[in-house]
Amino acid sequence: MTALLEVKDLCVEFNTDRGRLRAVDNVSFSVSPGEILGLVGESGCGKTVTGLSILGLVPQPPGEVVNGQILFEGTDLLQLPPKAMQAKRGSDISMIFQEPMTALNPVFTVGAQMTEVLRLHKGLTRTQARNAAIEMLGTVGIPSPERRINDYPHEMSGGMRQRVMIAMALSCGPKLLIADEPTTALDVTTQAQVLEQIVKLQRQFEMAVILITHDLGVVAETCDRALVMYCGEVVESATVDDLFAAPAHPYTSGLMNSIPRLRDQALDRLPVIEGMVPDLLNMPGGCRFADRCQGVQSNCSQDRIALVDAPAAAPRSVRCLYPHMASAGGQS
Amino acid sequence: MTVLLEVRGLKKHFPVRGGLLHRAEAQLKAVDGVSFKLEAGQTLGLVGESGCGKSTLGRALLRLHEPTSGEVYLNGVDIAGLDGAALLEQRRNMQMIFQDPFASLSPRRTIGQTLLEPLEVHDIGTPAERQAIVAELLDVVGLRTAVLNRYPHEFSGGQRQRIGIARALTLKPQFIVADEPVSALDVSVQSQVLNLIKDLQEERGIAFLFISHDLAVVQHLSDVVAVMYLGKIVEMASAADLYRNPRHPYTQALLSAIPVPDPQSGSNRVILGGDVPSPVNPPAGCPFHPRCPQATEACSRVAPTAVNTGTESAPHVVHCLLFSDSK
Amino acid sequence: MSIAAGENLWSKALIKFRRDRAGMAGLAVVLIYALLAAGVWLGLWAGNWADVTGPKWAAASSDYWFGTNMIGQDIFARTLYSTRTAFEVGLVVAVLSTMLGAFFGAVSGYFSGTWIDSLVVWLMGVLDSIPFYLLVAAIAFSLGENPYAMHIAMIATFWIGTSRLVRGEVIKLKSFEFVEAARAIGVGRFTIIFRHIVPNTFHILLVQATITFVAAIKSEVILSFLGIGVQDGMSWGLMISESTLEVLAGFFNNFIAASVFMFGLVMAFNVFSDALQDALDPRTVS
Repeated sequence: MTALLEVKDLCVEFNTDRGRLRAVDNVSFSVSPGEILGLVGESGCGKTVTGLSILGLVPQPPGEVVNGQILFEGTDLLQLPPKAMQAKRGSDISMIFQEPMTALNPVFTVGAQMTEVLRLHKGLTRTQARNAAIEMLGTVGIPSPERRINDYPHEMSGGMRQRVMIAMALSCGPKLLIADEPTTALDVTTQAQVLEQIVKLQRQFEMAVILITHDLGVVAETCDRALVMYCGEVVESATVDDLFAAPAHPYTSGLMNSIPRLRDQALDRLPVIEGMVPDLLNMPGGCRFADRCQGVQSNCSQDRIALVDAPAAAPRSVRCLYPHMASAGGQS
Repeated sequence: MTVLLEVRGLKKHFPVRGGLLHRAEAQLKAVDGVSFKLEAGQTLGLVGESGCGKSTLGRALLRLHEPTSGEVYLNGVDIAGLDGAALLEQRRNMQMIFQDPFASLSPRRTIGQTLLEPLEVHDIGTPAERQAIVAELLDVVGLRTAVLNRYPHEFSGGQRQRIGIARALTLKPQFIVADEPVSALDVSVQSQVLNLIKDLQEERGIAFLFISHDLAVVQHLSDVVAVMYLGKIVEMASAADLYRNPRHPYTQALLSAIPVPDPQSGSNRVILGGDVPSPVNPPAGCPFHPRCPQATEACSRVAPTAVNTGTESAPHVVHCLLFSDSK
Repeated sequence: MSIAAGENLWSKALIKFRRDRAGMAGLAVVLIYALLAAGVWLGLWAGNWADVTGPKWAAASSDYWFGTNMIGQDIFARTLYSTRTAFEVGLVVAVLSTMLGAFFGAVSGYFSGTWIDSLVVWLMGVLDSIPFYLLVAAIAFSLGENPYAMHIAMIATFWIGTSRLVRGEVIKLKSFEFVEAARAIGVGRFTIIFRHIVPNTFHILLVQATITFVAAIKSEVILSFLGIGVQDGMSWGLMISESTLEVLAGFFNNFIAASVFMFGLVMAFNVFSDALQDALDPRTVS
């Protein structure tokens, strides 16, 4: 199947007061139509910037895309003139953000914001757009949509605002949805509702989804494949089944072990990843995880480590000289 | 075991002001009648979602909010009624660890000044002794004394949280309220700080009220767990009991909503309808009934009372009409 | 207040400010003026500003760089002397009104919603609604010939702007967790206000002080022109006031000298103040 989206060697740098840092370092991946890909990592790993650069939303100063190609259905988005890119945003590729309160304009009603998108991209009349918006609100699970369409964002709860944002993102039937931490700011019961909604809509619209998150539980439940990022690089890529059954990169396995989760027997001490994420302005040479890795060897800090395909039934790759082998159990 | 803290009928209501004259039009019932007991050295985990009142409860216990009514007995003394010097003295027994590592340390004071301040306010020890106490605290939380002359902005979130923990320990309190102490930290740092708190529990016998929205974190640290919804406790039991055998429908929904990092696990998820109602106009009867998958007609009229579905020695208290007839 | 580890509002501000060429130029000009004023104060130059040494209305020459005025005084010396007056008025008013504004703003902000806050806000409203020059005239009149009447009047009105800004910031800051932590420890309220909260408003106070400095100088010009400003000594306002007669006779040196010097200082200070504000604003992208 030809890929819907292909990112090749993407590099994004930022000018800061203390110097120039590379937030995204030679990241490559592809997304097939109808697939849900998870981009997992902690704050600062570059996952959000990657998502933003697909839509050309990285603020250019201070950011700059210094290298790479982003091929959407064969067209390099990075080479598109601004008007052409604007035509794609919202109609072919959509994005939803973490903070529903700041992503929606507080002085316009929900209806006004939704119909704006529809009229811009599909050229509908005001009445047509309004009806389409009401239908969409119903699809995302908002009760009494014909009344809620006149609400202002502050009159709605966080979960509902997030659903409005999803409705806006989906109203033009995009082929690719980028969801940046869509449920992090929500309560866990609301999170469950919204995630269920996203998966249901994904199947209904046959959309591809890039789900950016730090929550491994969310990845396990919703994604088909996942990329683990650390310090701007992809350190592991696999199907979700493979990833959780046998994580190959020490960071992935460390993360899985140390995150508190419900266990049948409460542990006495949680496993820990020692140390801290290195300063992006002062990257160590060689493997970036070396100073925190339990299995570090002497040659890990010498040269840059390449992302290597690992032998497996489904495609997977690891950026490690001494990855856990597939047969080893990775989690407790 | 001695009872260190006993809370009876604690309420904290905030007036909602509106209109031209800013009259109190309604009451936001953040905490609406909470009672529980905490033994010395025990950890009570308090869970609930946003708006349930858990943070307000923690702050009301420490008199950071003035309780509207109710009693809080710490070592037999009702601190809800104290003021002035008597309150100041009781403050030595109860301290707090805060959620936001970036807002919980004063940016214009050095770490040393921040850590010495409690000792100065309570006039403990000579200056030399104070330095020694602070140095020992830093050692306990895993930081070097070189940090004393530096400012908060020079440290990471995890380090700042450790400093916050050191500050809470300065007065050697018997009771600490920890309000979401790891929620704002990076995931890979959370376990470091949780292990530190666990060590403090075991080595110093401090009683904790551990407030969190994250049930997995709470399970790791708590002896007893209480679930809050709209200002009231809906279920309270030992940690093992609550997680294995949740009785209240809200607890069941909460536990089933947590995404499990295991793609093979089936999900028998209870998806709740609707949204959390506002604490300004809580529903009549049981506060949870509009969203409860097992609600009956009586639930909209009758407010449930506490029912112990466990034993005297291992209580499992539920506030739900489904259980009130079963005894 | 979102500051990442390793960054400080002040060190970031310094870096940003240094990159702002206009701001650096403004600062340089202000420093030159300050040096001139210091020299006058130390008695190094312009001591002869009141001496009647020259012919009436001499043109600019090597003896008298700006010429002389109607009674034969050296205009250049007078202009220089006025620099000292300007700085003196500016500094006294800026420092004292900022301190007053910080105090009232912090107290009313911390006790917002109570009678203390209402009282201060009421006071601010009352003082604000009296026209500035009437207030100055009233104070000058009641204080008689006190040379500081003008300073007092300015301080009594300029503190309000600072106070409003500080009040807003304190209302925001008092809900921060480090304040809650101090309360949990048992730190007294006024200690919290002045040791914990106010130091976090220094960036506002600094910018306000520079704005007040400029406002004081400009107000002094008008007040002196009206005769209720500087009573003894010389200032640009007095020079302009004198020059009204001279201009009618066709002699502009006095007027131009005072205006240009004043314009230079005010402009430079404004540019410096803008750059300072930009540098200290935590939200502007670097």
